[in-house]
Amino acid sequence: MAATQPTNTRLKVEFAVSLVLLAVVAALPAVVTNAYWQGVIIVSMYFAMLSIAWNLLAGDTGQFSLAPATFGMLGAYTTGLLSYYYGTGAAIGVPAAVIVSGGIGLLLGRIVLRLRGPYLALTTLSFAEIMRLVISNSIDFTRGDLGLNVPGIFQGRLPYYYLFVIVLLATQIGLFYLLRSRAGLFLRAIRDDEIAAASRGVRIVYWKTFAFTLSAAISGLAGALYGHFAQFVSPELGLISQTGIVISMVVIGGLGTMVGPLAGALLVYVASEFLRDSGNWQLVIFSLLVIVFARFFRQGLWGILLSAFNRKPARPAAPATATE
Amino acid sequence: MPCLAIKNVSKAFGGLKAIDNASFSIEAGELVGLIGPNGSGKTTLLNILSGHLSCDSGSVELDGKPITGLRPEVLARHGVLRMFQLTRSFPRMSAFDNLMVTGCALGLSQSDAEKRAMKLLEDLSLTRIMGLDAGQLSGGQMKLLEFGSCFMVPPRIALLDEPFAAVHPTLKEIMSGFIRSRHAEGQTFIVVSHDMPVVVELCPRSVCMNAGRVIADETTRKVLSDKVVIEAYLGGAAA
Amino acid sequence: MLTLDLLINGLVIGVFYALMAIGLSLIFGILKVVNFAHGEFYMVGAYAYTLLALMVGVSPWLALPFALIVGLLLGLVVERLLMRPLYSGYTSWGVMRDEYAVIVTFALSIFLINVVDKVVGPYAYKGPPLIDISRITIGPVAISGHRLIAAIVAVAVIVAVALIIRYSFWGRQIQAVSQNRLGASLAGIDTAKASAIVFSLAGGLAAVSGALLANIFNPTPDVGVFPAIKSYVIVVLGGMGSVPGSVVASIILGVLESFGGVYISYQYRDTFGLFILILFLLFRPQGLFGEKAREV
Repeated sequence: MAATQPTNTRLKVEFAVSLVLLAVVAALPAVVTNAYWQGVIIVSMYFAMLSIAWNLLAGDTGQFSLAPATFGMLGAYTTGLLSYYYGTGAAIGVPAAVIVSGGIGLLLGRIVLRLRGPYLALTTLSFAEIMRLVISNSIDFTRGDLGLNVPGIFQGRLPYYYLFVIVLLATQIGLFYLLRSRAGLFLRAIRDDEIAAASRGVRIVYWKTFAFTLSAAISGLAGALYGHFAQFVSPELGLISQTGIVISMVVIGGLGTMVGPLAGALLVYVASEFLRDSGNWQLVIFSLLVIVFARFFRQGLWGILLSAFNRKPARPAAPATATE
Repeated sequence: MPCLAIKNVSKAFGGLKAIDNASFSIEAGELVGLIGPNGSGKTTLLNILSGHLSCDSGSVELDGKPITGLRPEVLARHGVLRMFQLTRSFPRMSAFDNLMVTGCALGLSQSDAEKRAMKLLEDLSLTRIMGLDAGQLSGGQMKLLEFGSCFMVPPRIALLDEPFAAVHPTLKEIMSGFIRSRHAEGQTFIVVSHDMPVVVELCPRSVCMNAGRVIADETTRKVLSDKVVIEAYLGGAAA
Repeated sequence: MLTLDLLINGLVIGVFYALMAIGLSLIFGILKVVNFAHGEFYMVGAYAYTLLALMVGVSPWLALPFALIVGLLLGLVVERLLMRPLYSGYTSWGVMRDEYAVIVTFALSIFLINVVDKVVGPYAYKGPPLIDISRITIGPVAISGHRLIAAIVAVAVIVAVALIIRYSFWGRQIQAVSQNRLGASLAGIDTAKASAIVFSLAGGLAAVSGALLANIFNPTPDVGVFPAIKSYVIVVLGGMGSVPGSVVASIILGVLESFGGVYISYQYRDTFGLFILILFLLFRPQGLFGEKAREV
């Protein structure tokens, strides 16, 4: 029997589909010529990056942090503050945002190392709120709720559009190689059973910190790019409801897959734009969808799609682990 | 120098003394059974050996070097690998990947790990299900998989906690056959088990614990006919 | 005298916090999960009380038990629909039951906030006071009539709950299930029912808290967010699962905030609690009175 690597096959399929999706997004401006809607897709790509980053941390490593939007905000403010005080542009601001966000993510990761489940959620939630409150109250330093103006990079929408597509593509490619490597094995082992992983020699401290740092860095990158696109940043970027949106996108799309966060973000954000016209019911509907999906369709839309295509004979149900 | 030296180890949980001044040594290449009634401290001792618990006093030495207080992942890389009483695996990863995790974590290159994983799967008759997620395997198959993980890189000492509990006789055969052949190659084992026939068959030497203390440490036959041991199991002075 | 005023003020607020925190603590004790939608039980109670009294014209003293009932029902429904999977062998989330609870209650929180926002509207109402005397003087202390009465009601409810948990049949069942779920079920206790009762009770308590405070913190869709955060701080501080711990911690936090808001910083007073929360989670997760979570 030929040596197969089953988890890698799953990964390859997910990666391929996500590439197709990105190709579709790249081709869209041919059809979608309205600048407003191009902007909508750009913002959805910002959320896609946040979703991918959160999925890496929560879906692949099992660390359910409630601070994804916070790192987006931190990245945006890094580049915003640098330009406000030193007049720098994206060339300096964006890399700085990655470093600063990544650095804070590393610290947070070290701090929450020993926490699990609700304790981890509560700590990251508090961290998120503290960050937002600090930025919004430090009016002298950050201009608080007034926000900061950030210089743009290009003229016109399309260049931003393709900048986001390229960055998204690079992120997905990087992630694919990461998950295929031993790093992917270790992260998912930590997710599935941290104690077992430790007893098999996986360096828990290193890899958990790694996940937090990388996730934060990607979010920071997204935030900085968003800042230069919208040319404005405010503490609202770090609101808990923004984190709620990111979580919705990933859960609805498919937690723990390479396609889920991307597809979820695009779908949810674009759909929410349509819903905006009919009275702002987005958050109601999406939170309800998250509840339904979490309750009944854990693998999200991607999982539903897969089972529709597979139609293999029903596998024996996973044994209920008595973990009380 | 013994492979593993346990010296005056004690561990208490609140007022309960789980391990009371336990000492024994294991030479390289030995296959030792660790027996005793429920609650005698066997699993607690194993937890201390594998780094999941710290002991209150005493020391443990691996090849002469103290290993008390080291974390499980560090101990694993020193060659101390274990099975858990309640089988632990990575349910959302394939059986193959379950083995790969250990291999890569212990320093094997990707291709070496792949080769060893395939060989292990073959030796354990698990090749057929290597593509299934560990969570979809039967209880016995999961146990066999966890068992196999200990041998991706030949361990300095393998700690097996109730490997035969609730396992199908066929799988039991596979496991004990594996243990026997590896032992013949010089692999050191500690096997915790309630399955007396298997302990007699596999382990030349046994250590018996009761209420946290080591009450017997000799050849298995002698231990099993030791009055103190029998009393411990049937209740009496020691309980 | 300022200090006495601040102290009384802190104690009163602390009592209200305790109402909310007790429910959260009980839920954690029995299900081992944090209910991220707890603030919304508070909010629903505040609205139930306010809307019934203002729109239908009922006396606040009738609106209060109405809020309680709404809270009890909401808690029950949520437990039945969403929390069942945590213990009834639903395996899709497998060992990630904690994460399931986080996601589901978090989403529920956002759902409830926004549903109320759409259905009732985002504008704040002012909850009617239980008693229309704006100032009662007791010795050197002056306090609003509503606060005084509300505090008395709150204390009465807390004592009642404490007695129920301690001495009643179901109270003892709940204690058993909180200590050892498997053992309790083996002993014949209906653990599902115990969980339902706890969740329902928690909902009711939070709702009453919301109703009592509706006069002070006007009901808006997100009025429950801050009290919820305070509750998390309290529950961790007092020890997750410990009711007396929650009460003590609530009083402490109430008094701390009262003094801290005046003497340290009004702006950042909400961050104190969060910092304390993080510190405790890191260094003393069992809080002041809770049991240490055991590993392996």
